[in-house]
Amino acid sequence: MAARDARSWAVRLRDVHRVYSRSGAPVPALRGIDVDVAEGEFTAIMGPSGSGKSTLLHILGLVDTDYEGSYEFCGRRVSGFSSDELAPVRNREIGFVFQAFHLLPQLSILDNAALPALYARDRTREDCFDTARARLEEMGLGDRLEHKPTELSIGQRQRAAIARSLVNRPRVLLADEPTGALDSKTAQEIMDILGELHLRGSTLILITHDREVAESAERVIHVRDGQIHDGVA
Amino acid sequence: MARYTTEWLKQLLSFAWDGLAGQRGRSALTVLGMAIGTASVVVVVSIGLVGRDYVVSLIEGVGSNLVFAYGTGDGINPEELDFADVDVLRNEVPGISGIAPVLDESVTISVRGQPRPLTVLGTTPSYADVRNMLVEWGRFHTEREDANGEKVVLLSKELADKLYGGAPPAGETLRLFDLRFQIIGVFREGVESAAAVNRSEVSGLTVIVPFETLRNVSPVRDIDVVYMQAVSPSAVPAVVQRVRDIIASRHRNIENFKVESLEQYLVLAEKVSSALTAVLIAIAAVSLLVGGIGIMNIMLVTVSERTRDIGIRLALGARRRDILIQFLMEAGILSVLGGTLGILLGAGGPLWAGAAYDMPVPISLLSVIVALAVALFVGLFFGIVPARRASDMNVVDALAYE
Repeated sequence: MAARDARSWAVRLRDVHRVYSRSGAPVPALRGIDVDVAEGEFTAIMGPSGSGKSTLLHILGLVDTDYEGSYEFCGRRVSGFSSDELAPVRNREIGFVFQAFHLLPQLSILDNAALPALYARDRTREDCFDTARARLEEMGLGDRLEHKPTELSIGQRQRAAIARSLVNRPRVLLADEPTGALDSKTAQEIMDILGELHLRGSTLILITHDREVAESAERVIHVRDGQIHDGVA
Repeated sequence: MARYTTEWLKQLLSFAWDGLAGQRGRSALTVLGMAIGTASVVVVVSIGLVGRDYVVSLIEGVGSNLVFAYGTGDGINPEELDFADVDVLRNEVPGISGIAPVLDESVTISVRGQPRPLTVLGTTPSYADVRNMLVEWGRFHTEREDANGEKVVLLSKELADKLYGGAPPAGETLRLFDLRFQIIGVFREGVESAAAVNRSEVSGLTVIVPFETLRNVSPVRDIDVVYMQAVSPSAVPAVVQRVRDIIASRHRNIENFKVESLEQYLVLAEKVSSALTAVLIAIAAVSLLVGGIGIMNIMLVTVSERTRDIGIRLALGARRRDILIQFLMEAGILSVLGGTLGILLGAGGPLWAGAAYDMPVPISLLSVIVALAVALFVGLFFGIVPARRASDMNVVDALAYE
């Protein structure tokens, strides 16, 4: 632990609680979680379904803000930020690859991938599309730019979603089961891409059920019943 | 915090356009719903206005600025107007541009071997103007023919059709009071509305002869009615008063006479028209409500889809305002398209029909404005409120919205 103190933290959660309300009855999803991930670290989150790992990732990705506790993102306390204060952080510093991809169905994957760049509002439209095109080409989708998500295979959608998450070169990349729905060959390709991002210095936090994927991570966080069981294999 | 530059607004407009183009069916239905809602209001109000104008024109068509006096024939001791009254009225009522006394006699003539009752009216040439008669063929008799008591006659259209089967009765004569009358014309009423206000003595089988002629050949001495035309609508009340005074001074009891103008009918028409207007407003309100609910339904159908769309955009870093402006633009485009289309249909249809049937069709500007305003309001409201609610949601909830 002492060694880590010298490094800067990408995310620090302290005593985070998250309670869902299902048909009026409170259901605790996270019960007092502390998480520290250093910048540049590759962390895997594992746990049985319903353990709260997706909830944890959503909170880390600033898309779930209905939690209690404290959250420091890259040195800023973001718990309590307003929606409009969170928007630029989500936009520029976080890349989120959703389990369901969440690509806009009516747009081409090029338009989809350009969205984070466009919402950043610091580049020309042409730059945004050039960047999006470059990311998609890196993901091997150079010949699918004008396709709608429904016209692509699951693996291609996964890669499009990753391309979109990388458009603004985020400091932290979050991915919810990025290989879950893929055959082993495609899964390996995705892991190679993520591994390369990590080598280039990105902070990587991903949820996985796949032990092989977890083994390529530097660290594994185990979530069970809304609590962390760190380091337990 | 970056300001809203033209560049960014253009980008949001492009997002809005993507949103509409991505749901062509919904967009088209929304536009259609708005168009129908707007058009129905404009059309319904126009139909009502046409009806109102028609009623008013019926009354005015009987004869503009008309004043008429007649003996009621009722009462214990009835009196009628006589020839001397006509001369006094002719000379002593200021503000009239024409006077037409009418003598009325009933005779029997033979039409294709059948005896038929015939009304013979004796009147002056002013009658044509005062009572708004149209001469279909030939001419009305002249002052000179009237003064000389010449034996000329005009037939009602109906009679001419019965006697001559629609052919112009040129050179024909008609036997009345055992005398041969030269047929000089065929007439009909300017509007078919006189009967509606009980002022038609010329419907059916009727002929018109010069006043003096009928006076010479018939024993009838009571004047049926005296028509006078005031020079302007504002002169009507003074003419009515003057005529009443003259008759009162020359007869035993003014209660035996009626001196009227069409004013009372116009007042009635105004009442009818305000009642019609109230009914119209109610109908228009119902069609607006129906149109509005239609728009609302179509926009609510896709709320869940749009909510997920909003969730995705928020997750990628859109700000609340970006979302609201985009949806405002979407709703605005649909509303303006729908409203404009509705007005084109609602105003264009009646105007086209009016042109086709050569009838003036009034389009109420107010109805256009109200219909457009309601369509815009409903469209914007049901476009913006779900967007506003979605953009206030926790992003994961918006993403998972069912």
